[in-house]
Amino acid sequence: MNGQLLQFVGSLAAVTALVVVTWLLGFRQPATLSSEAEARDLFRLAPGGFEPIRLGLDAQGRSAIAADEAGRKAVLVPHGNQFVFRQLSPASRIDAVDGRITIAGLPNLALELGEEAKRWATTDIGASNS
Amino acid sequence: MPFDPVSYAIPVFVALILGELLWTRFSGQHQAYEWRDTGTSLAIGLGSTVAGALTGGLTAALLVWVHGFALFSIGWVWWAWPLCFVLDDLAYYVFHRSAHRVRWFWASHVNHHSSQHYNLSTALRQSWTGFIALSFIFRLPLALIGFEPGMILVCVGFNLIYQFWIHTEAVKRLPRWFEAVMNTPSHHRVHHAVNARYLDRNYAGTFIIWDRMFGTFVPEDDEDRIRYGIVSQLGTFNLFRAVFHEWIGIGRDVWRAPWRHKLSYMWREPGWSHDGSRETSEMIRARWDKSRTQE
Repeated sequence: MNGQLLQFVGSLAAVTALVVVTWLLGFRQPATLSSEAEARDLFRLAPGGFEPIRLGLDAQGRSAIAADEAGRKAVLVPHGNQFVFRQLSPASRIDAVDGRITIAGLPNLALELGEEAKRWATTDIGASNS
Repeated sequence: MPFDPVSYAIPVFVALILGELLWTRFSGQHQAYEWRDTGTSLAIGLGSTVAGALTGGLTAALLVWVHGFALFSIGWVWWAWPLCFVLDDLAYYVFHRSAHRVRWFWASHVNHHSSQHYNLSTALRQSWTGFIALSFIFRLPLALIGFEPGMILVCVGFNLIYQFWIHTEAVKRLPRWFEAVMNTPSHHRVHHAVNARYLDRNYAGTFIIWDRMFGTFVPEDDEDRIRYGIVSQLGTFNLFRAVFHEWIGIGRDVWRAPWRHKLSYMWREPGWSHDGSRETSEMIRARWDKSRTQE
């Protein structure tokens, strides 16, 4: 029993040390999309399929929003240095302000789309600001 | 408890992860690791050693019990070791294929696939709930044949150790003869991919020959960038969600399903639904094939 406890404590110390080393080595950079083509590839991997016909890529490549032929909208949400697909409900509110869109329910997400932002908005809040 | 080779391998695992971290950092592969993902992977690995300590004795006892009905008395003769290792690897193939094709087994195995990264730390995402999922049943036939339970457990340990080093993008291709017989980083990258063409392929543990024999082998295509993880990406580093999310999903589906479909949500393939509202691997592949022919 003591041996097993010692092994557990040793393993826990090694796990902690490795996580610290990973952080110190700089593996904490944000997720980045290099191009619209990469964003399209990621949307296509969505469960149930999602073929973008319209796509907005954040100016820094930090996220993307897309719509498909059926009118569904979805976003690529950063998760660590990767992305996860999230489909928006038809009722999702999208605000456009100063060329940026924000989406209700996704508080940490803001996409810089410039002039395109207004086209994605579901409200007219941003219209007066852009 | 018999000799456990995995315990002795853990310091080597740590050293190799450290080596891969340095290699990827200084070769400019900044996306290869993510510190929170690594933390989750290693914590799942640590938790699995606790789960193994709690249930390992029961698995050993079951092997001993089944060995009481053994068809042959093989004993500890030298030639039994390589034979046991090869047959255990076949048993692993059957287990692993079932773990991807039966949701009950998948619920236990999914945490091994839930990382969107593919590095040596991913290898340590081992199951906490393997005993509950009845994964041990796949090793019982070896004891029934007559292999010593201690020998089986040692072979299981060495098989697990072999599979550690293939979880890397640092190794591209190995000599053809090796790729033809052995499971390699290239073959196993395919297994961890969510690209439609790669779903539910390359189940091998140590020897890739089983996939070649049973028609589940797909080679890695360098033109198609691999994306790792699971079809519905978790989007969280929460340790407990990573470990238990599929069990919770099964519970929710069984609760909500009509009576005649309840069991199907446990034993049918992941992605199956009684109303066709979700996709299985076959459905995803068919959709991908159709989209390719339309291009």
